[in-house]
Amino acid sequence: MSRASPEEIRGALARLRGAGHRLRKRRAREILGSLASVLDSWRDPDSRMRRALRTDFASATGLAPAMVEAGMARALAGWTGGALRSLVERELGGIDALEGTAPRCVSGFEVTSVLLAGSLPSPTLLGLLAPLLLRSPVLAKTSAHDPVTAALVADSVAAADPELGACIEITGFPGSDRECVDALLDADCVVASGSDETIAAVAARVRPPRRLVSYAHRLSVAAVGADPSPDAAARLAEDVALWDQLGCLSPLAVFVEDREQGEAAAFASDLARALGDLQERWPRGAIPPPAAAAIARERDLAEMRAASGAPVILHRGAGTSWTVVAEADALIRPAPLHRFVRVHPVSGVPGLVEALKPLRRHLASVGVGGFADQRRELARALLELGASRICSLGTMQSPPLSWCHDNQGLLLPLARFGDIEL
Amino acid sequence: MRSGDPARSELDRRILDWMGEREAREDEARFEELALRLFAHQFSRCEPFARFCRARGATPETVSSWREIPAVPAGAFKETPLRSFPPELECHVFRTSGTSTRRRGELHLDTLAIYEASLIPSFERHVLPDLGCASQRARILILAPSPLEVPDSSLSHMFGVILERRGDPESGFLVQGGELEQLRLLEALEEARASDAAVVLCGTAFALLHFLEWLESEERRIALPGGSRVMETGGFKGRSRELPQDLLYENLHRSLGVPSERIVNQYGMTELGSQFYDSVLRLPGTPRRKLGPPWARVRLVDPESGREAPPGEIGAVTVLDLANTGSILAIQTADLGRAVLDGFEVLGREPGAEARGCSIAADEMLEAHASSEPRENEDGRLP
Repeated sequence: MSRASPEEIRGALARLRGAGHRLRKRRAREILGSLASVLDSWRDPDSRMRRALRTDFASATGLAPAMVEAGMARALAGWTGGALRSLVERELGGIDALEGTAPRCVSGFEVTSVLLAGSLPSPTLLGLLAPLLLRSPVLAKTSAHDPVTAALVADSVAAADPELGACIEITGFPGSDRECVDALLDADCVVASGSDETIAAVAARVRPPRRLVSYAHRLSVAAVGADPSPDAAARLAEDVALWDQLGCLSPLAVFVEDREQGEAAAFASDLARALGDLQERWPRGAIPPPAAAAIARERDLAEMRAASGAPVILHRGAGTSWTVVAEADALIRPAPLHRFVRVHPVSGVPGLVEALKPLRRHLASVGVGGFADQRRELARALLELGASRICSLGTMQSPPLSWCHDNQGLLLPLARFGDIEL
Repeated sequence: MRSGDPARSELDRRILDWMGEREAREDEARFEELALRLFAHQFSRCEPFARFCRARGATPETVSSWREIPAVPAGAFKETPLRSFPPELECHVFRTSGTSTRRRGELHLDTLAIYEASLIPSFERHVLPDLGCASQRARILILAPSPLEVPDSSLSHMFGVILERRGDPESGFLVQGGELEQLRLLEALEEARASDAAVVLCGTAFALLHFLEWLESEERRIALPGGSRVMETGGFKGRSRELPQDLLYENLHRSLGVPSERIVNQYGMTELGSQFYDSVLRLPGTPRRKLGPPWARVRLVDPESGREAPPGEIGAVTVLDLANTGSILAIQTADLGRAVLDGFEVLGREPGAEARGCSIAADEMLEAHASSEPRENEDGRLP
């Protein structure tokens, strides 16, 4: 994609405002139907989009095509037209609210700009479709880490509904180009993803009364009781391996209830075996030297702790392909990602909650295995810590459409509500 | 020298002899022999290091070259005391910077003699190459607290030794009580300009930036006398304000009149007894690169294979430093680098860290979590 100028961005916003006038004259049900068919097309593994992800996207990101395909299949499995309708029902109160025939009506903003940050396709897909569902045209800035997906989404929308396709445009420029950023932030609603620092920088430049919807960096963990199912480690290994731990739903650490009978160390061995097996099916992608150096360093540090007398066990694959560290304590340590996972012993739910406290501002999802009698208690404690999703092991990478992303929901933050009291 | 260990005393003596030579030269055979002896000594005195090496199949019997000595990650100094001497002989501890709640790295020492003997020739060679005579003093202004104020800061200790050995009567520390004394520094620089006395301005990049910003807010610029130079060290890790090095150098030129070719970056860390310096003053007109003393060597290691990176390729910076007699001689830093001629360049820590999708390393989370906590820094707790 060529680098856009500020004038081009302003021109795109003007075009989208015009397209938005036409869009808002259409019925919301019709738009919903078009977007449902877009999701259907993405769920088809033989679609042009899925093929492009296996080739162009995999090549641009270094991720293995087989892993990309498996990740997309899981992510999209439940993203159906029916799920989209349920989402509207759940978050907005039903399609009538969008049609303006309910007492409480909902509309989107005149135009929404989306600053994409990550390198995973499914958040990009959803991030671009959500404003359209509210009949708000979208101008999206591509992520430097994924130059492929946003354009594919735009193409798929245009193929399903050309008029809707005119309501989505993709632009690209370096994040350091202040003039371009300011032009993009002139939209009525701005959706930004990125580090806390990026979000703070964007927030400082979004002028009222524009709305800013932000998704800062998050991380996920897993919690395993002393009585996990026999396939718990294999299921968790898939959650770790998918997207090479680059998504906010990827577990970076596992906390295992340890009744001082070596449960955590045993689970670490099982997890290591499962990650080793997966390396054949879903090979870890290529990584840059800094990431490899971080993995090597953390492995060495684990070995040094072991050499100093701590009961730490390092399990490792060839090169830097995967790593499991059975830790001696519940202390949160650096997470180099790219299939590097630590297994910590905890004394039970109270110990787990205590261990997670340092992450409470950043917790996204918690995968749970075991804890048969304490699941409700555990879930409540995790929600109080700020987790927005508690799910079973093996499903961490396939959130439902209705997942309340970062405790906010998908459509709610993009919506404007109004009551008719006449 | 407090060591009652004859083997160690002998090693210290030989290393000090090398450091004390007027024009210490590279000597591969000498380095190899001392490195292997020091490795064997530390292997026998530091049990965690010995176990770490054994796990890699490296023992004094199997290691035949300094390049084969396993390097301990610098972060290990936060985990456990890595001493190669009995604890009761400890005379000093240097600590890494950090927050009050996060563990700080500790370098335990039974002697400061080697640390001090190593730092002076390197500083003279790379920062004062034109002041050949050791008795010739320079106007050295330090943007860091004194060692009296921060006794566990290796940086402050280093500056203290430098001031004592090479500073003129007008030299001094310009950070007190955690505050940079901007007015005093400005006066000192104005006085140097008026008396045409070349200045050696030393400090952390962060402290220098702080001063430059203040100068700009005061709409002040000073053209320091020719022959002035700047030695900057450290980065901006964990700081709210960041400035790429080339922009910092541009600002130093604009505000103080010191051109980039007279600005020397020092690469050092608490866990190392020796420091590396940019070559610009010592070898002007050649590519900027880091050079160390003959008793320290750098290997750039491919993190995937653990072998030495091919020439020109990026590798993890691993240092073998004979000045680390009391701790561990081989340290794996957290930095990446690339070979440049007879030296290397440092590419910083994890420059690709942002290429991670929407996840983030837990350590960054913890940094963010700790950002509101009091921070103890070697550069004097500047705001």
